[in-house]
Amino acid sequence: MSEYIVEMRNITKRFPGIVANDDITIQIKKGEIYALLGENGAGKSTLMSMLFGMYEPDEGEIWIRGEKVNIDSPNFATKLNIGMVHQHFKLVENYTIAENIILGIEPIKKYLGLFSHVDLKGATENIARLSRKYGLEVDPSKKIEDINVSMQQRVEILKMLYREAEILIFDEPTAVLTPQEIDFLLEIIEELKRGGKTIILITHKLEEIKRIAHRCAILRKGQLVDVLDVKNTATREMANLMVGREVSFKTEKKGACFQDVVLEVRNLSIKNNDDFDVVKDVSFKVHGGEVFAIAGVSGNGQVEIADAIAGLTDIFQGEVLLNGKDISNYSIRKRTVEGISYIPEDRQTYGLILDFSLAENLALKEYYKEPFNHNGLLNRNVINEYGEGLIHKYDIRSSQGIKTQVRQMSGGNQQKAIIGREIELKSSLMIFVQPTRGLDIGAIENIQRMIIEERDKGKAILLISLELDEIMNIADTIGVIYNGEIQKIASADALTTNEVGEFMMGVTA
Amino acid sequence: MDTLIIDGLSFALPLFIMSIGGIYSERSGITNLAIEGLQGFGAFFGALSVVLLSHFFNIPIQKLFYLALLLSMVGGMIFSLLHGLLSIKFKANQVISGVVINILAMAVTVFLTTQINNMVFGAMSDKFQIGTSQRFTIPLLSKIPILGAIFKNIYPFEIVIVFMAIFAYYVFYKTRFGLRLRACGDNPHSVDAAGVEVSKVQFKAVMISGALSGLGGISFAYSISTNFSPAIYMGYGYLAIAALIFGNWEILPTFGACLLFGFARAGGYYMGQLLKLPSTFSDLIMTLPYVLTLLLLIFFSKTNRAPRALGEIYDKGKR
Repeated sequence: MSEYIVEMRNITKRFPGIVANDDITIQIKKGEIYALLGENGAGKSTLMSMLFGMYEPDEGEIWIRGEKVNIDSPNFATKLNIGMVHQHFKLVENYTIAENIILGIEPIKKYLGLFSHVDLKGATENIARLSRKYGLEVDPSKKIEDINVSMQQRVEILKMLYREAEILIFDEPTAVLTPQEIDFLLEIIEELKRGGKTIILITHKLEEIKRIAHRCAILRKGQLVDVLDVKNTATREMANLMVGREVSFKTEKKGACFQDVVLEVRNLSIKNNDDFDVVKDVSFKVHGGEVFAIAGVSGNGQVEIADAIAGLTDIFQGEVLLNGKDISNYSIRKRTVEGISYIPEDRQTYGLILDFSLAENLALKEYYKEPFNHNGLLNRNVINEYGEGLIHKYDIRSSQGIKTQVRQMSGGNQQKAIIGREIELKSSLMIFVQPTRGLDIGAIENIQRMIIEERDKGKAILLISLELDEIMNIADTIGVIYNGEIQKIASADALTTNEVGEFMMGVTA
Repeated sequence: MDTLIIDGLSFALPLFIMSIGGIYSERSGITNLAIEGLQGFGAFFGALSVVLLSHFFNIPIQKLFYLALLLSMVGGMIFSLLHGLLSIKFKANQVISGVVINILAMAVTVFLTTQINNMVFGAMSDKFQIGTSQRFTIPLLSKIPILGAIFKNIYPFEIVIVFMAIFAYYVFYKTRFGLRLRACGDNPHSVDAAGVEVSKVQFKAVMISGALSGLGGISFAYSISTNFSPAIYMGYGYLAIAALIFGNWEILPTFGACLLFGFARAGGYYMGQLLKLPSTFSDLIMTLPYVLTLLLLIFFSKTNRAPRALGEIYDKGKR
């Protein structure tokens, strides 16, 4: 028997217009935590999808436990005791946890020895036992739609364990979790390793790898760059290898040079659907050439402020002035025309139409104007040319250029497309809500640099972020929000990270 | 009162079995507007078979009653293959496929009925005479006050439907197949990931839907008239869809909706007779179930929730 439980030799996989995996060889030992590190679109998920039988490699061989195998379906992968937690969970929402776990391998009992039926009771007991064994407490009779994301992930893990998986693949498992949930998950993964499981962790987060992985394969643009011993490698080195250049963790920026006031918010109050005050009497000003960041723990009213300025939420009291003009009662389009660009928090729901092409998405805020629209007809040539221009200018990568369906693009490139589109509006105010959420280091760096560039052009920037590091990194002025109220507004130089953190928790010094 | 219950049930039960078929199909994720066409074609197939058998082998047509039910289910199932083929295999739009099947069923069956009547029986008729179905009354039980009417003047098909419905309920909620079927309508990706072929499950569901529609169709043919004729396309298939929507795609509440429609219809008749309205007005009263549908729509459509993946063309690659 070979030393390796999984060997993928010289794997190549091509998709139309792109080589997703180019001659990749990885070897994984039994009982280790093996990380696959790479930027979005580097080919990590594709590689693992082949190990799990969702695709078949164009070239190369897969060996499991020293035997050559041809994994042609997830079913067969399951037979080889390989399990995978997908990035997008595959759960039936109106089913209970138990029903989801047994789906496909339902235990059967017979009434009167004749009528076979699914033995839900027995399964529920088995699952409860299993969940206790691995410290993954769940209530098997709860429905998926009633439990949170972290719990749903536990269900996915239990699904693998129920199928007696030995090789567990986790695809970006922490992308959807809060910091506490991440800690918990990493502990579970270590626990599974101690239980003799082999773990493959797909991620672009270096801290996680540093914390739990033994070895780490770095992929870049479909190629294997290096396989490293995590213990003996610095985080910075991994980051550089992943991105392919020197990564600076600190964004370089010149001193700000404030111009006239662009945005003024006066005594703004907002009520939510339950008639609850989510924003209370908030006032602030943002100048041209200034990055004004609102720091705060999620759910303290910061997103509502952005939505109210952009026109997505009704204002209860107060007013919003743009370049001295009261826009409080303007429609969204009128605000856009007056000079507001908006990069929303949920880019897939509010920022893009996922089933439209890239070119169409890039023209989404201008399609109704000349020359995009001529006598009520869309001019495809103009839209396409415009799209080509933006793709080039903002380095938006996709498999089929302007024709790419946006759904198929990586998160980083989706975000680049939105930001490019919004910058091209040449608005005097740009609102960024969580612009780097879920992106990898390379993309984060890129986007932060773009924000600074816009500031240097004299735009007013309103940044809303949950990442304190990001705020400390690029803001000129920081307003800290807690429970719908601005606790403190001060120049970024005058505040330390700890002070901001304290204001965020409502500790008023 | 007795007639109300008797007529109400004899209408509600065929409607119910068609709704169950619809539930099977829609909970597997396949929109099924074809129930109207499927019940018509199923009834046609069953009626044609027994008419021919009776003619060529000289069997009294009454004796072929159960065969007619069985063959109608076969006919509905055969015709439903078309819906499966179009919407599952060729990934066509399920609404269009359903509507096409309805139009096609009506055209084909009416055409064939007249042609076959002409060729085989030498008669110019668009009907197949399938004879009356002998009603019966259960002794004792029928003596219960008021509710005893349930056991009076029963058509044999009502008994068949009750047993079929119970079996369908058991398969839907208790068996492995049912569990997988219902999962397909919510998140087919999860079914696929569990190693079950989604399209196979959906195909079976559509075929079941066809068979049950056929059973409902022939029951209407027996109860409303004693023949198969174009009058079978009265929109009862659509009413079955309305019933399953009010029933929130669950079998028991749908039964309630069907009973409501059945009694509304029987009540309408009853009222017409009571008021001694001329026959032109009785047509107006026949619209009662549909008016009821509209009213119910207003109240129920808010709280009801369709299967999440209903009508979506399942594409493995899409996330």
